[in-house]
Amino acid sequence: MKKTFPLILLMIFGIFGILPSFLPHPVIQGIDSFVLNDLMRIISAFALVLGLGSLLRVHFEKIQRHAENWPYSWILVIAFFVTSIIGLFGGVSGHGILPTHIGSFPFDIQTIYLRMEVPLGGTMFALLAFFMASASYRAFRARSTEATLLLSAAFVVMIGILPLGDRISHRLPAFAQWIMDLPLVAGQRGIGFGIALGGLATELKIILGIERSWLGGAE
Amino acid sequence: MTFIERLTAIDRRIIYLIIALVTLLPMLFPIAQKVRVMSPVDKCFNAVDTIHADKALIIDFDYTPQDMPELEPMAFAMLRHTFTRRIKILVLCLYVQPLGLAQSALDQISAEFNARAQSNADSIIYGRDYVFLGWQPPPLVPIIGMGESIIRVYPRDYYGNQTDTLPLMKRIKNYGNVELLVSLSSSSIPGSWLQYAQNRFGLKVSAGVTSVSAGDFYPFLQSGQFSGLVVGMKGAAEYEELLTRKLNFHTRRKAGESLSSITFAHLAIILFIIIGNIGFFMKRRKK
Repeated sequence: MKKTFPLILLMIFGIFGILPSFLPHPVIQGIDSFVLNDLMRIISAFALVLGLGSLLRVHFEKIQRHAENWPYSWILVIAFFVTSIIGLFGGVSGHGILPTHIGSFPFDIQTIYLRMEVPLGGTMFALLAFFMASASYRAFRARSTEATLLLSAAFVVMIGILPLGDRISHRLPAFAQWIMDLPLVAGQRGIGFGIALGGLATELKIILGIERSWLGGAE
Repeated sequence: MTFIERLTAIDRRIIYLIIALVTLLPMLFPIAQKVRVMSPVDKCFNAVDTIHADKALIIDFDYTPQDMPELEPMAFAMLRHTFTRRIKILVLCLYVQPLGLAQSALDQISAEFNARAQSNADSIIYGRDYVFLGWQPPPLVPIIGMGESIIRVYPRDYYGNQTDTLPLMKRIKNYGNVELLVSLSSSSIPGSWLQYAQNRFGLKVSAGVTSVSAGDFYPFLQSGQFSGLVVGMKGAAEYEELLTRKLNFHTRRKAGESLSSITFAHLAIILFIIIGNIGFFMKRRKK
């Protein structure tokens, strides 16, 4: 039963996911509308609670066991509760029931987001520029004809899309755009068709119960 | 260490320092760059520009602080475009993280217009000219649900107002009253808008994406599924250029100012790759 019930559920919802695309019958369309508009919202609300609960449980356990880097878990737990309380009771722009400023010092959820999350996220991503430069210097080698073609195309696009490309030659930006419009699209379409066909085959196998590895266990 | 060995073993700290310098210096001493507008951005600009007065534009803000430098200038340029042309807009986010950035962009650009406004008609007023619908999980629900009823998916806006009380929402009921949707995202979300909103309801879709993810979206531009495509900082700079050229709108051009940094960073990376390859070939010949 532990495995049969999820399989039956998956088969029903899988088939009802496909049918509305082929059958315009009002009953089928009505069920589809209910599943997509209401049921999914209810499930996602449960998933959100489950996700947050699981996150907190993992970090409380880490703190209890003094696992590796456990002090960072305290930061997560404190940040979680502080931002949740301010967000829930302080309102989106600090107009809620909770005071969100001390004198001229604001700590509403939007200020916390703009002053903490934005710079932190930006900093993490900005580091990529340095790693990419270093990695491309060490790894990007014209070892074969294919690699040389890739390297040449990369140079043309990197320079061609910038105003500098237009200064070098008026044809360079058009050539860079041609690379993006034709060879790139051709390659992407091939990859896309492959992924779509592979996905379709896997989905059918899952819906029909042939592929059961997602249930866990060896069976 | 021989010269050849030195070519292939430049210390990474030197590379980091050079990248930092070529990125920072052009920001401190900007060089004017002439931007050539390419067809994908031109198409997107025209798609926004030709929206009928009785229809609305939906802007899906789905960029995070990580991709903000590339996508925020696009968002600013698009908001300036729509506010200048008095196009009614609905703003939403499919994920929670971009909410703060969307609110910040709307506050900043509406304040910019209101500071110049001389009458109520000139002003950009919340509820009349734009509505911020906020976030409604999971992403598939608003994409499909808004085709039937926007108010049903978003009974309240981001600020907690009942959406059916807002003047704009009295005439924007579903995708039938929306002419175009622009998805500003670094993920695969623009593809989901095509898959569900365009395929089911025939909604016109344009996208603003990061340079690194652009390759995934070009096939949809070529097939005509996207009405336009704005790619990365250069795309945003092209949009800013069109704003100035076609609507005579003069303001600080955030993307245009950053192009010098990108140019020099690209040149530095190309130079490092060439140096690495020279060292590699010299080493191979020696063996």
